[in-house]
Amino acid sequence: MTVPRKAWLDALAATLDAQALVVAGLGANARYLPHLPIKAAHFAMCDAMGAAIPLALGMALARPDRQVISLEGDGSLLMNLGTLATLGATGARNLTILLFDNRHYESSGGQELPRVEVDLVAIARAARVPIAERLAAAAALAPAVAGARNAGPAFYLLPTLFDPHEPIPPYSERPDEIRLNFARRVA
Amino acid sequence: MADARPTTRHGARAIVQAFESAGVTLVPSVPDTWIGWLMEDMRRSTKLRVIDVTREEEAIAIACGAALCGTRAAVVIQNAGLLNSGAIVGSLVHLYRIPCLLLVSYRGDERDPTYYHVPKGRATEPTLDAWSIRYAKAEGAARIGEQIQRAIVWTEEARAPFALLFSAEDLA
Repeated sequence: MTVPRKAWLDALAATLDAQALVVAGLGANARYLPHLPIKAAHFAMCDAMGAAIPLALGMALARPDRQVISLEGDGSLLMNLGTLATLGATGARNLTILLFDNRHYESSGGQELPRVEVDLVAIARAARVPIAERLAAAAALAPAVAGARNAGPAFYLLPTLFDPHEPIPPYSERPDEIRLNFARRVA
Repeated sequence: MADARPTTRHGARAIVQAFESAGVTLVPSVPDTWIGWLMEDMRRSTKLRVIDVTREEEAIAIACGAALCGTRAAVVIQNAGLLNSGAIVGSLVHLYRIPCLLLVSYRGDERDPTYYHVPKGRATEPTLDAWSIRYAKAEGAARIGEQIQRAIVWTEEARAPFALLFSAEDLA
């Protein structure tokens, strides 16, 4: 059972407060991010595949007073799987990972990931990430994010519908603008 | 003997002191032999938190995340790891113009003529030039603290990465 990406993002937007910091890895999440009704500081990555989790970890270590939420894709995580071990080792309690699992490289044209069932939740648990769960429905996201606040690092896998015809908006902010807007909201 | 452990640690302590006085608080790192020696001093600091990571791109991304939140970080990696990191330097550090100090153990140059390090040593400076990363070679224990302080100022004024390349003898 999969959930449309936009349903996950709408559920996230409804639960975020202005104190949160949000990082989106390249692709659909980063392209949606400026269009979501959120007051939280957000940083959309146009490139640097695989870096959304460690970038968010740096923010979480720098700002332990803020809940940092990283939106990452399954293909990106597979490119940088060791970062789960780093998460387990650092124990950043204020970091929450939302892993959009659609089994495709959506941002590069929808190619399939290597055809093997990889249990990323089990890998996160094996790396001693204290909260590692698969969420079944968008309604589960708000309580999960709330429950992870200062109890993380948390890793939630979001089974996501791959829709090659999804009307994903284009990138609408340039990097300097993204950095400056983020800095203003963090301050 | 390139991997002979230095009998003194003046340079290592100067690096720690320079980080502390510059307000660096996070040090994401992947070790090699020389970095292992340096980290013995780094981990004794009450002002620095060493973040052990699995891959150099992670270290750079962590430092960038900290910098975006106004926290000073310094990445400590070997040149092998630097050579792994072209994509993240281009698509995160340069693209978003994020200050980023890279303290890089420089294996395979004339101070470290170890045959299996030499290819990395030959590639390091041309790669830094190709990636538009400004760099300097450390000039020993007496100068390395000042070099770090200047490098940090430069990264923040230029909003760009800077690599300081050190050898085992710079830790002595």
